[in-house]
Amino acid sequence: MITIDSLTKAYGRTIAIQDISFEVKRGEVLGFLGPNGAGKTTTMKIITSFMPPTSGVVTVMGYDTVKESIKARRCIGYLPENTPLYHDMRTTSFLRFVAKAKGIKRSKISSCMERVIFECGLEEVRSAVIRTLSKGYKQRLGLAQALISDPPVLVLDEPTMGLDPKQIYEIRQLIKDLASSRTIILSSHILPEVSQVCDKVAIINKGRIVAIDSTSSLQRGLQDNARIVLKVKDNLDETMQIINSVEGVLSVSSSNSCVLNVETIKDIDLRPELARRVVEAGIDLYEISRKDMSLEEVFMELVTEEITPDA
Amino acid sequence: MRSVYAKELYIYFSSPIFYVVAGIFLCITGIFFYNNMVYVSLLASQIAQYQISTGISLNDILLRPLFADMSLLILFLIPIISMRLYAEERAQGTIELLFTYPLSDLQILAAKYLAGLTVLVVIGACTLVLMVLISLITSADWGLIISSYLGLLLMVSAFLALGVFASSLTRNQIVAASISLGLILGFWAIGWFANTINTGPIATFLKEISLLGHLGSFLKGMVTLKDIAFYFCFTLFFLFLTLRILERRTWRG
Repeated sequence: MITIDSLTKAYGRTIAIQDISFEVKRGEVLGFLGPNGAGKTTTMKIITSFMPPTSGVVTVMGYDTVKESIKARRCIGYLPENTPLYHDMRTTSFLRFVAKAKGIKRSKISSCMERVIFECGLEEVRSAVIRTLSKGYKQRLGLAQALISDPPVLVLDEPTMGLDPKQIYEIRQLIKDLASSRTIILSSHILPEVSQVCDKVAIINKGRIVAIDSTSSLQRGLQDNARIVLKVKDNLDETMQIINSVEGVLSVSSSNSCVLNVETIKDIDLRPELARRVVEAGIDLYEISRKDMSLEEVFMELVTEEITPDA
Repeated sequence: MRSVYAKELYIYFSSPIFYVVAGIFLCITGIFFYNNMVYVSLLASQIAQYQISTGISLNDILLRPLFADMSLLILFLIPIISMRLYAEERAQGTIELLFTYPLSDLQILAAKYLAGLTVLVVIGACTLVLMVLISLITSADWGLIISSYLGLLLMVSAFLALGVFASSLTRNQIVAASISLGLILGFWAIGWFANTINTGPIATFLKEISLLGHLGSFLKGMVTLKDIAFYFCFTLFFLFLTLRILERRTWRG
């Protein structure tokens, strides 16, 4: 429902993003990752029509964000970075303003307000002045203003920044609940969060997309070798010898007395073969599992890879 | 558009700026009024004592100086009211909310401008009490009063447009207020300058663009199409310029 086609944005001579293209389908949650200054926020500002691109086209629900900006904006709920809010207003008066500004019908305003107040857990602070709210409540109010018109597309710039673990969990649950019928783009620095919430990940570095794929295939696809971890009772040296004799095994190492890390070639899954050989030798096998790279490792690999040729 | 208008008024009336500014303006206007009244009563007692006919009317010694003083005070009021309109949104980042809601730049500008104007009109309307007081003691010249208020309203509209323009240039409210106060005083000074040069086409030109010069005829009780058109064009010109600035800013990010 969001298509981005060869998007470029330059601020004067500085190029913030260069030739970005991707697509987010209905019901998908795309995690947008990248180091600070990589162009995440710029991309989000263009998607939400806050500013036009230097070149390239973005469409949201089929509407061009430059030519049919007002229609495109009607489809989007946007939570900007750092959650800007009108600090002099009260929670309900702010939400009423947002509802009116987004063109919600007068008769539906109260029900929409009650819905987001409930969804985002704002009952306790409904008549508080926004200035006095805690960081967590401000973040929830920011989310509430994005959700109030029940938009099909959500763009969330670091939605869990500055929250405590419990609040992060709650917001994450909320996003998961919302995901079924909506298209969501969210940026985050917290990588485990992205792998939990998102179906798809786009990694951006220095204004270019360096990888875009589903979270799991990204974690698998980037490894040169497959990694298998074995846990045995004892006889470590004997086990190592047995494993080394299996075809396809590249190296074996042990991190402590009963855990072995095995590197194998990527194309075949050696787990059944390894298990059989170890058990046939009469060694007690406790555990055998494949270990994928964590999203952190994938991220670091991609981002550092990009940096090296320039240096 | 109504939503933004309501929001701006909400913020004006819930923050101390409005009350401080209105309080100070009304106090000082009150002092001027009292001063003029003392002078009037002094003159009246002298006239009664010496039985002289002076040909001096109440309009000359009470109303005109009062409106002239008010117009000067308002010059300082406008930048304070207008400075926050765009600068505050930029500084707080809320401009990202406002500009991504389904509202056009023109709708937002119109709402903000009208909200500022409403606040100034509310402050100005408080001075009607003084006119009622005058009409209680003598027969007030309501024609002159109405034309003076109309002149003030038009002048305020024009300067407010200038103030909104200044506010759209920066994220710093103090800078916005300084720019608009500077420009307003500049237009005021042009009138003095025109008087010094006195003759020639340049003098005429300067007189025509000086904002207070146009106010003068309203304060004399004359409502001319030329003066109304001048303020109207001035207002539209600066509002148009503001739209251009906003457009350009978003293009550059």
